Amino acid sequence: MSVEFQELRDAVRQVVDGLDKLGAEQDYWHQCLELGWLMVAAPEELGGLGMGCEAAVAVQLELGRGLSGAPYLPAVMAVSAICDSGLDDKSERLEKIFTGEAITAALVDGGLSASAQTLSGTLNAVLSADSATQLLFWTDDQSLVAIADLSHSAISAQGRDTWDTTRRLFDVELQSLPVADVTVLAEGRSAQTMIKQLRMQRDLGLAADAVGASTALLEMTVEHLNTRIQFRRPLAMFQALKHRCADMKTLCEASEALLISVLDTDSDADVMAAKQMATSHYATVAEEALQLHGGIGMAVEHPCHLYLKRAMLNPHLGTSSAACAESAVQALLDSVA
Amino acid sequence: MSETQLEQFRQEVRGWLGDNIPQGWRAAMTNAEQPAFVELQQAWFKKLVEQGYATPHWPEGWHGGGRSLAEQKVIFEEVARADAPRLILYFVALYHAACTLFECGSQAQKDKYLPGILNGEIWCQGFSEPNAGSDLASLKTRAERRGDKYIINGQKTWSTMAQYADRCLLLARTDGSGPPQAGLTYLLLDMKAKGVSVRPIDQITGDDEFAEIFFDDVEVSVEDRVGEEGNGWAVAQATLASERGLTLVELTQRMRGGLSMLVETLKSQGRLDDPHMRQQLGQVIPQVNAACAVADRYLQKRISDQEQVGDASIVKLYYAQVLRELVRLGVQSEGLAGQYHGGFMRGATQETGNWALDFMNSYNWSIAGGSNEVQRNIIAERMLGMPREPKQWQLS
Ligand SMILES: Cc1cc2nc3c(=O)[nH]c(=O)nc-3n(C[C@H](O)[C@H](O)[C@H](O)COP(=O)(O)OP(=O)(O)OC[C@H]3O[C@@H](n4cnc5c(N)ncnc54)[C@H](O)[C@@H]3O)c2cc1C
Repeated sequence: MSVEFQELRDAVRQVVDGLDKLGAEQDYWHQCLELGWLMVAAPEELGGLGMGCEAAVAVQLELGRGLSGAPYLPAVMAVSAICDSGLDDKSERLEKIFTGEAITAALVDGGLSASAQTLSGTLNAVLSADSATQLLFWTDDQSLVAIADLSHSAISAQGRDTWDTTRRLFDVELQSLPVADVTVLAEGRSAQTMIKQLRMQRDLGLAADAVGASTALLEMTVEHLNTRIQFRRPLAMFQALKHRCADMKTLCEASEALLISVLDTDSDADVMAAKQMATSHYATVAEEALQLHGGIGMAVEHPCHLYLKRAMLNPHLGTSSAACAESAVQALLDSVA
Repeated sequence: MSETQLEQFRQEVRGWLGDNIPQGWRAAMTNAEQPAFVELQQAWFKKLVEQGYATPHWPEGWHGGGRSLAEQKVIFEEVARADAPRLILYFVALYHAACTLFECGSQAQKDKYLPGILNGEIWCQGFSEPNAGSDLASLKTRAERRGDKYIINGQKTWSTMAQYADRCLLLARTDGSGPPQAGLTYLLLDMKAKGVSVRPIDQITGDDEFAEIFFDDVEVSVEDRVGEEGNGWAVAQATLASERGLTLVELTQRMRGGLSMLVETLKSQGRLDDPHMRQQLGQVIPQVNAACAVADRYLQKRISDQEQVGDASIVKLYYAQVLRELVRLGVQSEGLAGQYHGGFMRGATQETGNWALDFMNSYNWSIAGGSNEVQRNIIAERMLGMPREPKQWQLS
């Protein structure tokens, strides 16, 4: 891990720990814009900070810590797609994103088909679609990556109530949206390459989110056990509970180490593995955390449930766990063949 | 080293290993007698040392040492990839003894003992006793000062490779009056000295890798004390940390080799397309990769002087858990066939592809060198800052 990565991470953490409401979408979004976090990965010649893709991961680790509701991940994907596209107004487009014109995207695959000259279908798990002005998407057949204006009459967004209240997900329907009305970022072969890249970034972002959240949740749990007195001693003195915390710590470390180790890989199998591990470990940590909090953990006033609900949602975003596992097996088989 | 230099180094290591690995060693070690085992280990150790590949983790200025993390990893990756024998007979010498001397030994002790290690002296670790396992500080083996000598009386147990050892890292009690940790002293003992006797212990695998050691008025010179009298506990922590953290860069790389063996087994059992097995394999692969990443990260921290208490415990605990997962899957994939006795492999690595054996051997890592439970205590208390157990306890 580079010094730069760690410094950025520390800086973001300071801000996150200073925000008093977990999740608060507006507050987080404000900080993302104000502090230039959207710019970190874009190259300097396009107006970015040129810190590379891993910088966006550093930010997301800490946004996950605060259960940020801001649509940072789709923005990261869009910035990357625009940079890699053949557009000649990249700088202008990025400039708009950096200054607050939110662009969103689906956090799951599938739903969109292209016929002759139009696009139709429904994209699920699109983050904050009501406050965004644009939509980044790709077609199921991987022939096209494009951006559309969400205000187009052929597009409608429907909010979905999720158990996780720290993020707002939408179904976005496209009804015969003319291809002529969208901005094409990549087609054909180059679309496939770009989609692979975007999926990797999505999985990296989700993994970082999970690592950040589980780390924070463990800290909160230890703090609770250290201060809660039962049987005339802090609960933290009971080894049965200590050992569960040590195991949670080990899971957090494993997820983080694996995530950091895949930051500069171009193998999507490795990235998927990191995402699968981070989200499933986060789920385990969240389950344990609620149990160890006892009754207070079931009270809505306590943040425990916010972490748990987000942990329940995360494995279903990005590449599916089954697909992650299968790609790990395939990569291993290829390597020993 | 640049990427290209590193790649060049990798080719160099790979080429050398290809030319030098003892052919057919796994078959030769299956049900082998002790002399054959020692002979193989000696010959392989000598070659690796000469080439400088046995000691990449030693500091700059020592033969083979001063390698960057990247280079060390290349060596360990290639050794694992080539399926070379593990230097199990020299494990304690290369890691425990060397690291303890580098960290806590005097210049004279380094000059005296490190060349010996490179020349093939075998070391063992004499910490555990019949009544002092996890509670190591309660150990009772006495070291009594008489002039410029200590006189040792007592017993050690579970000492790996003690029956072959030339020297022993001995933790003994010089003072029984104060708190248990404060009365311990760390000594370097000659296993050939008068009054030392060793009795190998049969293990569940069929091997006899560890042994009991008895001391009957054994003399150790004061010059062979590491650190001050009464400071042995701190020195022992250096030994244990090296075992917990440093050795695992190599072993986690070895575990990757275990994955290929698992694929072989699944293939030969016709179960590679069994969705259940595949799903489980898909779960284990990232864990193996994560174990490698955790160990690498530890070493990186150590190299840059950022190691914290408990870091090494996480590496060991996680490794022990992942290893168990991996070998359990091996056992499962073989079904009944795996329950027929396939012989034991002397000085086996953790991954022999003989999964029942590997499964039993995986307990080495969850029990020895501080059990999983002990590592959890360290992580909880020293890293997470949770309170210790209440000290007072009385039979009611
Ligand atoms: C293969 C092998 C090689 C070894 N090699 C060496 C060697 O070279 N040199 C050497 O000195 N020793 C060696 N050992 C010994 C090893 O260090 C001890 O076995 C280990 O420290 C555990 O001690 P014990 O066996 O007495 O078990 P015990 O301490 O009796 O533990 C029994 C069980 O109780 C648990 N337990 C103990 N205390 C606690 C606690 N406070 N909280 C929760 N659970 C607890 C343990 O985790 C374990 O599950 C080796 C052991 C093995 C298995």
